Amino acid sequence: MIVTNTETVAGYRIVEVKGLVQGNTVRAKHAGRDIMAGFKNIVGGELKGYTELLTESRRQAVERMLGQAQQLGANAIVNVRFTTSAVTAGAAELYAYGTAVILEPELQA
Amino acid sequence: MEPVIFFGFTVVLLTLGLFAGGYAERRHLQSLEQREAAMGDMLLTQIKSYPGHIPGPRPPQVIYAEVVIASDYLKTFLAGLRNFFGGQVGSFQIMLGRARREATLRVLEQARQQGYNAVCNLRLETADVGGNAATQGKKGMVMAAILASATAYHAEVRNGH
Repeated sequence: MIVTNTETVAGYRIVEVKGLVQGNTVRAKHAGRDIMAGFKNIVGGELKGYTELLTESRRQAVERMLGQAQQLGANAIVNVRFTTSAVTAGAAELYAYGTAVILEPELQA
Repeated sequence: MEPVIFFGFTVVLLTLGLFAGGYAERRHLQSLEQREAAMGDMLLTQIKSYPGHIPGPRPPQVIYAEVVIASDYLKTFLAGLRNFFGGQVGSFQIMLGRARREATLRVLEQARQQGYNAVCNLRLETADVGGNAATQGKKGMVMAAILASATAYHAEVRNGH
């Protein structure tokens, strides 16, 4: 499955639009991670726990989106967008959405 | 006695922020510069294509990266002061810049690892993990969370045109 965040895919043309597909998830880290993040806020540096949290959430949201696209019989998702929202401290909501389409390789002139 | 302990504790935290935070920041900026130089030959655009090139045989693929960088105690303290007097909050500006550069680099590094040589339509957005707005009464943690997404292409130089 070709997934891009552009409307069109260079080298391919869209032959059919299958519709909007989406996936969302809300995840949190255990309290230990939140406490460690509190310490990190004194000394500075990357909050690896929260980076991981975002990575996991994004992966899960994308997986759900891919599942929907597969169900629709699409072979690509174009113009994928992400949004996040903070539900409560230490939790992240990630929402991924895109347009499921059928792509065909463009014939080289 | 109690105010003395409180004051001492604050001074310790500020010093910790000054040294540990400053060290982390300098080291990160140094690493950013090195890695950015190494990625100099990658095509990076914020538009949908890369002018002057044609798509190669490999199908494009979306790439994501995320970075969360924490503020240190000194920065948060100084920002609090700045908030009172108004003006530019320089320390947070640097922190956000670091997070954005790091996220962009991670996108580039992943693209290169997967055998691509061009990254198009880079999008950077902020996320909110600390939930500053959502916690009531308690101050949230100060951090810069950046989500980056882009499309990786294998681009070839257009010849004879």
